[in-house]
Amino acid sequence: MRKTLPALIAHIALILAVIITVGVLGVIAAGVSAEGSEKFTDELERNVTLHILENDTAKEQGYLKELLDAFNSEYAEYGIKAVDANIDQYNDLEQSGPFGYGPDVLYQANDALMKYVDGKHILPLPVDKIECAEELSEAAFKAYRSTVGGQEYTFGVPVNIQQPLLFYRKDLIPENWETEWDDDKNGVPDMIEYWTDMYRFSKQIKKDSNNSKYGYMKSLNDGYFASGYFFSYGGYVFGGEDGKDTSDIGFSKNDGYLGGKIIRQLASVMNLECTEDTITRNSYSRMAKGDYFATMTTPDVYTLFIKEMVNAGYTEEYARANLIMTDIPSLPVSGDLEDESQGFKDMVAMGGVNGYAISSYTKAPNASLAFVNFATSYKMINRRAELLGISPARRDLAEELGGLNEKINQNLDSGSIYVMPSVRALAQVWTPLQTFCATLADDVLNEKDVYVTDEKLKDGIRNVDNQIYAAIHTLGGS
Amino acid sequence: MKALDTITAKFKNLPSAVAKKFRAIPSELAGKFAGAKEILTQGNGKVTASMLVMGLGQLIYRQWIKGFMYLFVQAAFIVYFVLTGAGDLFGLFTLGTREGNAWYGVEGDNSVVMLITGILSVFIIFLYIMLYISNVKDAYRTQCAVDTLKEPLSFKKEVGALLDKSFHKTALALPVIGVCVFSILPIVFMILIAFTNYGGDVVPPALVDWVGFKNFGKILSLGQFAPTFFKIFGWNMLWAVLSTALNYFAGLGLALLLNKKCVKGKAIWRAFPILAYAIPGFITLLGFKFMFSYGGPINYYIQQGGGEVVGFLGLDAKWTARFLGLGVNAWISIPSTMLLATGILSNVNTDLYEAARVDGASSWKQFIKITLPYVLFATTPVLISQFIGNFNNFGIFYFLRGGLYVDGYFLASDTDLLINWLYNMSIDNNYYSIGAAISLVIFAITSVISLTVYVLSPSYKQEETFR
Repeated sequence: MRKTLPALIAHIALILAVIITVGVLGVIAAGVSAEGSEKFTDELERNVTLHILENDTAKEQGYLKELLDAFNSEYAEYGIKAVDANIDQYNDLEQSGPFGYGPDVLYQANDALMKYVDGKHILPLPVDKIECAEELSEAAFKAYRSTVGGQEYTFGVPVNIQQPLLFYRKDLIPENWETEWDDDKNGVPDMIEYWTDMYRFSKQIKKDSNNSKYGYMKSLNDGYFASGYFFSYGGYVFGGEDGKDTSDIGFSKNDGYLGGKIIRQLASVMNLECTEDTITRNSYSRMAKGDYFATMTTPDVYTLFIKEMVNAGYTEEYARANLIMTDIPSLPVSGDLEDESQGFKDMVAMGGVNGYAISSYTKAPNASLAFVNFATSYKMINRRAELLGISPARRDLAEELGGLNEKINQNLDSGSIYVMPSVRALAQVWTPLQTFCATLADDVLNEKDVYVTDEKLKDGIRNVDNQIYAAIHTLGGS
Repeated sequence: MKALDTITAKFKNLPSAVAKKFRAIPSELAGKFAGAKEILTQGNGKVTASMLVMGLGQLIYRQWIKGFMYLFVQAAFIVYFVLTGAGDLFGLFTLGTREGNAWYGVEGDNSVVMLITGILSVFIIFLYIMLYISNVKDAYRTQCAVDTLKEPLSFKKEVGALLDKSFHKTALALPVIGVCVFSILPIVFMILIAFTNYGGDVVPPALVDWVGFKNFGKILSLGQFAPTFFKIFGWNMLWAVLSTALNYFAGLGLALLLNKKCVKGKAIWRAFPILAYAIPGFITLLGFKFMFSYGGPINYYIQQGGGEVVGFLGLDAKWTARFLGLGVNAWISIPSTMLLATGILSNVNTDLYEAARVDGASSWKQFIKITLPYVLFATTPVLISQFIGNFNNFGIFYFLRGGLYVDGYFLASDTDLLINWLYNMSIDNNYYSIGAAISLVIFAITSVISLTVYVLSPSYKQEETFR
């Protein structure tokens, strides 16, 4: 024991000494702050390959290939080559970037891109070096602005404005619409201009067809689309100047409850399928069959409607001429679809701005910026609009294209598009909201009539706010 | 009643059995340390050399290869710790001190990676300790051999022993390492996450911190939490028992039916349930969701028949949706039980039935006294795993009735199981640490139930019965 024990202790001491000395030195070394440097130096990196993350539609329609080919031939002399990143369009940079296999340039929606700001996964862009900056509205840029460490930065270049649109069958409008459905005599059928008339028209179709055909049909439990009714009457998602204060949940604020009233009324002209996602799934085929007159969705699914109409036996020309996308109707100021006495107001719908951002992990920030400038040039955005049917954020192009493109730009400027907040906590909004919207529809269609008074509606939507708050804050924080 | 008495008696004995086990620990430990004491007191200079530097004693005994291998282990261990191990171990405690800034290319500490590498370094320390002990024991074994005038074992002979007498060690070495790295390490990682603030806004590059038992305290102290927990837990238990029993007995019944001699075209009939089994579960679930939705075919035919649409999975469809879940789960799970039971039934000794018939036993008696005990004996472990599987069956209600919060439940619906609730609160809401804490609670519940059932089952108590 006299010999062995000291040897054992000596061995343990040796090992501990190694561990502690090296470990402490490591901790001291980690405390020394590392210096970084500015990434945008105006000097193009040479002989680099840029990995571009684009959306699936751009790939499917051949736009990405055109873009890459055009860019590569323009920058061939620098040895810069852009390639498809070949990763999922919803790829999470937070997971892939730090480990070196993320894209250099990303095209995603503003809420997806801006969630990378907290972790500094995307680079703040030098606005003075963004060539299309002057053509973009402040409202479009605002979706990509965020304050970090007391300073405001711009993190993306807006490309495409997204908002829900009304899709309707022109050939299902009654022949006598000019006398019966155009009270303001502006040459536009009232049911696609005002929700009150859409409601009246839908009620009539449902009654005349003995509940086999419907006017406006939409899954009302879809929070993305249903939230607009609350926004239109002063409700909001998060408070604060930048709309990111998660301690202030505001669907019930101001007269937000009136949105609930509208949802109840719209549900009454639909059927119980509006409480679930059935209508979202079947609206393409049911509209093609003429069972539904109208629905609300985003423009990127236009071709699906056309395809279904062709499958239903119409020619493509007929389908394109009669399946119309238009701006969403106006809501009554009264918050009652049976009361037009106080006039109308534009509906505020949730939307977004898709754009380009540059990964902080790129080895070639200057070449990436060159790519972004190239991809947002007039020529390329024009081609993108042509091929993919987007609503360009570039005002010069939107004005030139006119019609709905111009209107969508105006909607963004006027605040009729509620840009989806770029806050991680947004994920906790949907379930409480969609449950409440489904409850309202169920309430009227199953004749439970719980939410018939304003007070009940206010209580209901306040409960939604509380649930969202609880989801974000009860278990969150330290 | 008799079965109930037996179970009660077994449970009565459980505390005393546990107490006995605990009382035996000191003597067992003393037994284990007796060997160590012997080495420490009887070890000679060469053993001492091995204690100081691994392999040195073996080298003095001229066991060159083994000695150098042990020496290499110690050198490798020191090199590992100098290069990365010490940092990893310290990182396990600090979880990082430097936050990264990707804007300027400043690489920071990734707390989650540090947690994993830290756990790995602890594993490596344990592995080193085991090798160190084996090194000392080996040196002492050689000392004993030499003291009794035997030749120290040559390396060739020792390798030969590893392929013969100690083959179990050789065969198990790799699987044990595999289990440690791919199974135990992730479990330890998950357990440790429950003691951090990982989640919400605290995700890398932000630095994660240790918070002790704060997450558990948060769970226990939440007013909304307790009522929802007990409501969901009650339903979860009922669900696990009902679905396991339904799947098991329906599968067994189907197997017995298809085992009957009078059934023609057995292969075809057996193939049908396999089809249901072969289709990926989530596709089946989405199919059922569509079928029972307001706009689905079931409601279509109800309306065609003059009835009113039924909200099978609607907002108020608590029990309808629960029973539907049981049915859909049965649809997915019965085929596997049927296959299992078919295999087991093919091994039943038919003489037993012959004897029972001679004794005048009815078919029901034969089932109760011969078939069921036999199948139960053989399938108890499977039954337990099915119970755990059903207890943690995430897919059924996520796909059938997900995205719903019901009044009276905190961030959950009345069909959600604990695992769905866990998902709502952790993954859906990014609270990984809270999710880990709740999963530890679920783990405790399921492991207590399954271990108790297994230990009390004949499969464990009478392991040799059917051998």
